[in-house]
Amino acid sequence: MDFSLSKKHLMAQSLFRSFAENEVKPLAQEVDETEEFPKATVEKMAKSGFLGIPVPKEYGGQGCDPLTYVMCVEELAKVCGTTAVIVSAHTSLCIDPIMTYGTEEQKQKYVPDLASGRKLGAFGLTEPGAGTDAQGQQTKAVLDGDEWVLNGSKCFITNGKQADVYIIIAVTGIVEKRGRKMKEISAFIVEKGTPGFSFGTKEKKMGIRGSSTYELIFTDCRIPKENLLGQQGKGFNIAMHTLDGGRIGIAAQALGLAEGALETTIKYVKERKQFGRSIAQFQNTQFQLADMATKVEAAKMLVYRAAMAKATQKTYSVEAAMAKLYAAEVAMEVTTKAVQLHGGYGYIREYDVERMMRDAKITEIYEGTSEVQRMVISGNILK
Amino acid sequence: MGLEEYKGVYIFAQQVDNKLSNIAFELLGKARDLAKDLDTDVTAVLIGCDVKGLADELAAYGADKVIVVDDPQLKEYRTEPYAHALSSVINKYKPEIMLVGATAIGRDLGPRVSARVATGLTADCTKLDIGDFPLTPVPGKEQKHNQLLMTRPAFGGNTIATIACPNHRPQMATVRPGVMQAIAKIPGAKAVVEEYNPGFEPNNNYVEIMDVVKSVVDTVDIMDAKILVSGGRGVGSPENFKILEDLAKAIGGEVSCSRAVVDAGWKPKDLQVGQTGKTVRPNVYFAIGISGAIQHVAGMEESDVIIAINKDDTAPIFEVADYGIVGDLNKIVPELTKQIIAAKEAKI
Repeated sequence: MDFSLSKKHLMAQSLFRSFAENEVKPLAQEVDETEEFPKATVEKMAKSGFLGIPVPKEYGGQGCDPLTYVMCVEELAKVCGTTAVIVSAHTSLCIDPIMTYGTEEQKQKYVPDLASGRKLGAFGLTEPGAGTDAQGQQTKAVLDGDEWVLNGSKCFITNGKQADVYIIIAVTGIVEKRGRKMKEISAFIVEKGTPGFSFGTKEKKMGIRGSSTYELIFTDCRIPKENLLGQQGKGFNIAMHTLDGGRIGIAAQALGLAEGALETTIKYVKERKQFGRSIAQFQNTQFQLADMATKVEAAKMLVYRAAMAKATQKTYSVEAAMAKLYAAEVAMEVTTKAVQLHGGYGYIREYDVERMMRDAKITEIYEGTSEVQRMVISGNILK
Repeated sequence: MGLEEYKGVYIFAQQVDNKLSNIAFELLGKARDLAKDLDTDVTAVLIGCDVKGLADELAAYGADKVIVVDDPQLKEYRTEPYAHALSSVINKYKPEIMLVGATAIGRDLGPRVSARVATGLTADCTKLDIGDFPLTPVPGKEQKHNQLLMTRPAFGGNTIATIACPNHRPQMATVRPGVMQAIAKIPGAKAVVEEYNPGFEPNNNYVEIMDVVKSVVDTVDIMDAKILVSGGRGVGSPENFKILEDLAKAIGGEVSCSRAVVDAGWKPKDLQVGQTGKTVRPNVYFAIGISGAIQHVAGMEESDVIIAINKDDTAPIFEVADYGIVGDLNKIVPELTKQIIAAKEAKI
């Protein structure tokens, strides 16, 4: 049991931190205000190798462990929730399933471009009628000769329209299971630009406003037979296992948001004076900050532990669920308190904390709501 | 005087600009049924100026007799002279039943007249029968036969009330347009025409009409529409909405749409039905090329009748639809339009 970061990790962390401070932070407010996808930042991150951190070097990645990747998302989230989720969705939800389930041909074809950041990735599972109940898929894929024909739509897809490669979950048939009719669900790799694949609504969101959240539309979209990812009928397991990893990424994003809000608040309460002294000298401020710092530290341990579990264990659903659940709720609480400690200024968009509070809320919802995480955890406890 | 002196089924034959309104024919159709049950005849009361020529048309749709009240004061509908005309007719001829269409005119006229002749009025009826009152005998209470049983939805359609008027005559009802069926036209039919003028003395209740405006509404509030023809992404293109517009025109409805259509820029936002659009409750809702996600269904599931047309037989819209067709909307919708037009022409 060792709680100190290795030299390598410390070096990586300081690299992420200086990138976040110099390249991301100055744009964070503008990205939020304009709701524009930070394309230039993504290109810079690609150059720095941030888009393939846990990918083996032979596939064009950095060959680092999951913890290094988690620290990257965390450092980005400290200054900009949007930038953090771009990296997380791309790495955890698109590259990871191809690396885990793809054939050698698929890996060779897609991963080097993704890991180098020449291409961006996304993941399409959610539909209007299938959110938490992911089995409620309506999108269909039918094999016609040597092509799959996709029909349906996906909603709330992070990196939508910006991404070039999409993991799409669809129904490929009906199977009998213990006398009950069940949908047979499979996973596919679909490239942007395929005829019949278009984009619908761009969602206007409360937070992570620069993140490109789109509806995907498939109208007789034909993809090659070999774009089936993993085995036919295993799509649901692929999606769930992919989300286990993605949850660690979101947990890191939540952790970063909480840390960023805490750091900003510590600086502010030392400067701000009322009643002739800094508000840091009031015991209420001190105790609030003590609670916030303790919770952030606890969340950090859970998030780092989940990252280590991904590196060393076959399954890490519970570790990921606990990390995401706790970090997201801490992020919501800490950012809300950060706004309070800033007083009226905290409610003004010129200050960063209100943005952090808006960004934090989504971490309790996407890649499985807090309620889903509780289902996963309790299901495991009560086995 | 006794109630038994009142005889015959009368209808108010509404005309506007010396053209009979459809409701007049619908009322005649119903009045024929009622008259048959009571073994009596049907009289149309025609009120206006130079309207005598319309009597034959009323005969063709089943009036045995037409009472014409013709006076310059009655050129355009005004409450006072029309109420005077109709209540004078009732006082003179003593009908057993007096039916008025629940149009804007009829809803204004009916209650005035019923108050003047001191009888009951049931508004906006959707069903009329001859039967016993009380429906089931009540001990110690006389059960009257051959009463007009007037049924109408109340409380926004959430309850159905059947109302009788056992102790006063005539039994008056305003009847919802579009509910009763006109009979097929009898060519060359003639009715007994009787002219009656109670005399008109303009008084201070006479309204002065400044201007009559006939507006052509081109933007419609979809929340008021009785029939909505709603299209989704499956319609395919903004141009292709024409087939929905044709259907809407044929059936007398309006076009609405799903969010996907608004997002694609095919239709304006004020036509959007759903959670983030408008909530509609038409009598008939056509969901055409709409998959039926809950975000849309939440805005239209209260429609009386839902008709879904979709090529995907597993689309969730079929779970809420009363009638569904699985197939290509490009073939189905124009065919439906054609058949509706044909059916309408057959009726005329």
